Amino acid sequence: MNKITEEKIRISKSGALLYLQNPRFSMTALAEAAELKAEKIYDYFSNRRDVLDFFYEGLILEYEESVRSIEKYDEFTLSEKLNNLALTILDLMDPYKEFIRQTYSERVMCSGRTTSFEKHFRRQLKTIYESDTTQSRLSSALNREPLYKMGMFNFHLLIRFWLKDDSVANQKTMEFVDKWTAFVEELHYSSILDRGFDVAKFIFYNSPFANTSKNRTS
Amino acid sequence: MNDFPSSKYDRGKIFAKTGLKVGTNYAKHYLKNLRGADSNRNSEFYNQTAQQIFSEFTKLRGTALKIAQSLSIDQGLLPDEFSEVMTQAQYSVPPINRSLVRSIIKRELGDYPESLFESFDTEAIAAASIGQVHAARLKTGEKVAVKIQYPGVRDTIASDLGLAKSLFKRFIKNKDELEEYFEEIESTLRLETDYINEGETIDRFHERFSTDRFETPRWIEEFSTERVLTMSYLEGEHLKEFLKRDPSQEEKNSFGQKIWDFFHEQVRQSDEIHADTHPGNFLLTKEGKLGIIDFGCVKNFPDEFFRDYLLLLPTHLERDLDKIKALYNRLDVLKGDPETDEKEKKYFEFCLNYGFTFAMPYESDTFDFGDPEYKELIRGYTKNAPIGNEARGNKHFLYSTRVHLGLYHFLMKLGATIETRKSQEIVQNRIDGRLAAPKN
Repeated sequence: MNKITEEKIRISKSGALLYLQNPRFSMTALAEAAELKAEKIYDYFSNRRDVLDFFYEGLILEYEESVRSIEKYDEFTLSEKLNNLALTILDLMDPYKEFIRQTYSERVMCSGRTTSFEKHFRRQLKTIYESDTTQSRLSSALNREPLYKMGMFNFHLLIRFWLKDDSVANQKTMEFVDKWTAFVEELHYSSILDRGFDVAKFIFYNSPFANTSKNRTS
Repeated sequence: MNDFPSSKYDRGKIFAKTGLKVGTNYAKHYLKNLRGADSNRNSEFYNQTAQQIFSEFTKLRGTALKIAQSLSIDQGLLPDEFSEVMTQAQYSVPPINRSLVRSIIKRELGDYPESLFESFDTEAIAAASIGQVHAARLKTGEKVAVKIQYPGVRDTIASDLGLAKSLFKRFIKNKDELEEYFEEIESTLRLETDYINEGETIDRFHERFSTDRFETPRWIEEFSTERVLTMSYLEGEHLKEFLKRDPSQEEKNSFGQKIWDFFHEQVRQSDEIHADTHPGNFLLTKEGKLGIIDFGCVKNFPDEFFRDYLLLLPTHLERDLDKIKALYNRLDVLKGDPETDEKEKKYFEFCLNYGFTFAMPYESDTFDFGDPEYKELIRGYTKNAPIGNEARGNKHFLYSTRVHLGLYHFLMKLGATIETRKSQEIVQNRIDGRLAAPKN
């Protein structure tokens, strides 16, 4: 991660904390909190909204950075990679839980546009699914935008679950992620869909009904 | 295996499914037996059933697996094939996924393993009922073992024990007394899930057993929390690996003597007792010391009980029936007079003969635990116990017999010949309230 991105992430985190004190904080107050000159902040962000949006984008950038430091990450299974994506972002969100509680819905989930956080998140899902070679044939064919959109939707639900999780060290959220990703992996690795597709294909080309309709047309 | 079934419904479902599988197998087996079956077939049957139970119980992890281990390994209640398969549970429960391990460490210790440690092996070296262990190296270069508790394990204790209790209550007459046993198990299991408590126990045992014969790990407190436990790494061979390399009788005796002496040294010190004597918790280090590596289940038996428990040995050795009877009554093994009550007589005779067998190693100066006849005798008693529809015996027997039987089973597996003279003196001194002063 380059220095500029690091600095932008640091500023956006200061912004998130400042937001809790005053949702309409000024850029001067932010500069003070981040121990920078106001001009420097304006080099990176045009307004407060940009700062707060970048907070979410920064989470994905930090996640990407952390993946690089994981040994043997390429050997992780689909479930482990999805687990890592969800849990790492939650780990990064954890110190800012109150900020997320107050802003996630408005700024990400129901913002009325595709936020850069969502775009980056879906891109990560695409990378994870497309790099996994253990998936069944049919599952691989389903690695398309609707799948990533569904993954994003699941993550929104996870955030709601996490915000309400009062278990020690958020153990319930961990269990939920673990169970959910294990289920997704089972679906994608299972060859039952391939077998079902083979059967359907066979019936389509060989069923007596197909012959009847052919005979009628001839 | 990623999913840990933590809800009461999930876990109940697995119990039921296992029961159904086992039930079906027994029905098949019964039909085969009617047609005449040989012992190989029996063995194959037990093995098949045990594999199925094992695969279901390992999904449960936590309490249920712990109970299954206790029943099958230490107590010798089940056929050998069952014990062999269930012994796997000591080492080979499917580990939780690597991302979850990272996240648990981050939440518990404040950062990811790659930042905290010089190196961290993402593959677990052992995965058991409550947690799994990873090898790592601190930034100082020291090799450590990091034990990570499965998320949600603590929450399953009450629900699993509740399920087990409702099963037991169906065929146990004195339901109120049953509560006492379950409370004892529950409080012990709750302590086992508190890794800070285990860390402190590690420190105490390290203080007591840092000698030329025993080795215990050091607790690394700054890398430990209630759910993550870091300790110095002990290298060595577990019983299974030790036996695999076909050691000489002398080596077996030396290994066995150390574990025998470890138990009696604890008795001598009148202090806490390591109450989880199964092979996975002990190893033989390169320096030939006995390594003790798990301190989750440690008991501090009340003095009155433990004295009576130890008194069972000399009274059986002396064959003093009146004293034995009085002792059994004090320990709640007998609930009436065996002279007048037929049921009590049955219990008394069984316990008496079992007690004689159990005291045999203390009769002479040396004892051969490798003697197949002795093994058969112990197994025979365990299997033919008069299991009635009532709970009997002081609640502390649950763990005291676990320690003792675990020790005997370990030594029988090892086939070691043990010198027992010193231990007879230690037991007698403890009974008399005379404690030997020096640390060995």
